[in-house]
Amino acid sequence: MQKIHLPNAVQPLIQPVRDIVSRTPGSESLLERVAVLTTGYRPDPERELQESTYYDYPVLKQPFWRWEIIWYFFFGGLAAGSYVIATIATLFGSEEDRVVARTGYYLSLLALLPCPPLLIKDLGRPERFLNMLRMFKVKSPMSMGVWGLLGFSFFSGTTALIQAAKDGLLGRWWGTRLLAALPQGLIALPGSAFGVFLGGYTGVLLTATSVPLWSRSKLLGGIFVSSAFSTSTALISGVLRIAGAPNHVLHKLENMEWMAMLIELSGLLMFLRNSGRAARPLVGTAPGEHGRTFWPFMIGGGLVLPWLLQTFGLFEHRQSRHTSRGVLVSLLVLIGGYFLRRTMIEAGHTSSRDARTTLWNARRPH
Amino acid sequence: MAVESGKPLRGGLAFVKETMLSLRKEPPPPPQPAMGFFTDTSLCIGCKACEIACKQWNQLPATQPFWSGTSYDNTQQLGATTWRHVQFIEQIGRGQPERSAPYKPALPLLDDQSLEAKNALPETAPGTALPFFNSDRWLMHSDVCKHCANAPCHEACPTGAIIRTEFDTVYVQQDICNGCGYCIVACPFGVIARDDQGDHHAHKCTLCYDRLKGGIEPACAKACPTDSILFGEVAQLKAHAQERVGLLHQRGVDEARLYGADDTILDGGLNSFFLLLDEPEVYNLPQNPPRPSNHVAPASFWTIVAAAILGLMGILFFRE
Repeated sequence: MQKIHLPNAVQPLIQPVRDIVSRTPGSESLLERVAVLTTGYRPDPERELQESTYYDYPVLKQPFWRWEIIWYFFFGGLAAGSYVIATIATLFGSEEDRVVARTGYYLSLLALLPCPPLLIKDLGRPERFLNMLRMFKVKSPMSMGVWGLLGFSFFSGTTALIQAAKDGLLGRWWGTRLLAALPQGLIALPGSAFGVFLGGYTGVLLTATSVPLWSRSKLLGGIFVSSAFSTSTALISGVLRIAGAPNHVLHKLENMEWMAMLIELSGLLMFLRNSGRAARPLVGTAPGEHGRTFWPFMIGGGLVLPWLLQTFGLFEHRQSRHTSRGVLVSLLVLIGGYFLRRTMIEAGHTSSRDARTTLWNARRPH
Repeated sequence: MAVESGKPLRGGLAFVKETMLSLRKEPPPPPQPAMGFFTDTSLCIGCKACEIACKQWNQLPATQPFWSGTSYDNTQQLGATTWRHVQFIEQIGRGQPERSAPYKPALPLLDDQSLEAKNALPETAPGTALPFFNSDRWLMHSDVCKHCANAPCHEACPTGAIIRTEFDTVYVQQDICNGCGYCIVACPFGVIARDDQGDHHAHKCTLCYDRLKGGIEPACAKACPTDSILFGEVAQLKAHAQERVGLLHQRGVDEARLYGADDTILDGGLNSFFLLLDEPEVYNLPQNPPRPSNHVAPASFWTIVAAAILGLMGILFFRE
């Protein structure tokens, strides 16, 4: 089994928690029980061994996608979500909500910047990346994704420029006056459509493969787009909280974050139930399975805990400030969003190696 | 392309011209009848001539020698530099279905002697009985790209490197492929692979496109000494395969079946199909794999549903 290389900032964070999980007595069996409960599938090695395969050699070839793709999915989600939230704040928010729009447009462009280099680096022949533009193929989410990313880059860049011109960051001359006069909200409308696409197509891209974990349930796109919303509301509200934005603006963002987390969590639970046996590499604790990262970092620390904290916060008095708690929630959600992508990709590698589950997945009538 | 020094402008123009030339769409060659393979595993003797012939003709490097320890199959799988792969499936002591129980000849004359013989001769050690009288068997299967009628790799390819040729085969244009790897996760048979030791492109069986252009059959079919690999027009091959499976059924090989000869697999069947002597899973072939491109619509639908709910909630929250 190949170990997946990743930028080294993350590894020291994971190992202690994984150690705690594996050292705590009963935690393994608890995770196993939760895995069986959520997927509705209890591993039965004896029956699975009866299934025929060819010496357990993998049926599928392993994906090549590694840390570049994980970070691309994460940053792409942030860029898309920030943009859509900024647009909503522009079109429907009050004068005070302009701060959300401004932060959102800037953060969207910032999060977008690392995406193209990550994608190009991931190619076998990076210098041939322009070949992606030879085709416009509706059936191929990869092809549509390239065009979607291109379109979104245009809109994200334009709106950020307009914002910068409005904020006087580009100086004061006729060019900035022209830019500032452009209808930002109107331009952001088609931009948001591209944004929703960018946030969700990555899930559709994984679904349109033969890997059982990614393709069995058809909900991955919905989960990724919810995660794009939850992580970007977390990012914007975290930044605004540190910057000291008015409380009721933050309150609106937190309402949205709360909702996005709820939808993401229910989407994930449906995903696990629909996938059943195919979800084992994601939730199980056997060697090669990623439950020990998925449960504490993604579901537990990245969704349930911040959602509960948020719920308490929403019941409290609106005027009370809880800067540290808000920042903590934001941080947890962002970490959870990263680990959603990471465990999903890495468990997909495990899933593609599992000949028996692949053959089982192909046995159903279509 | 060499850019002449001292004439940067002309060099630049030549570069632009060359780039534009590569974008020009050439008229497609006239269509030919669909060509494919019929691999009849009941005739395969596991000589691996196809594997070697393929490597020789296509100038594919040998894989690192490796001892799998599971069977005589040390190739294990198709790969970027292995486009034919012979499987060795050893079925020792398998549960014998009642219909094809070992045939016991009725020889009443020998009945009297049989008891004596039993005492005189030592018991036959398990596994040494003649193959005609025991249920052990050794299946061989030369695996290859299926050249699917609706090929998931072709549907997934974002650069258009993977095309259908005039022979209705699936072909990877090496000068276009940029190694994105999406075809590799799309293929439900684990056929296409990226050569990470070499040029980092996706590779697979070309159905010897160069030989077909010259009017000769693919190297593996040419080399096969038992005609287990047949090459020809798909329609004719499928008719022949039906005949062959009928003949085998007539002779009592009830487990013979065709894989990919009808339209069920991937909504259109396979142009390179098989006659198998057991369940497809025994040969590591998925029984009825989902077609990845069919997932695009439902997955997009659920994405839009989630985004619509989130967007509406966002509008509501910001309006209050």
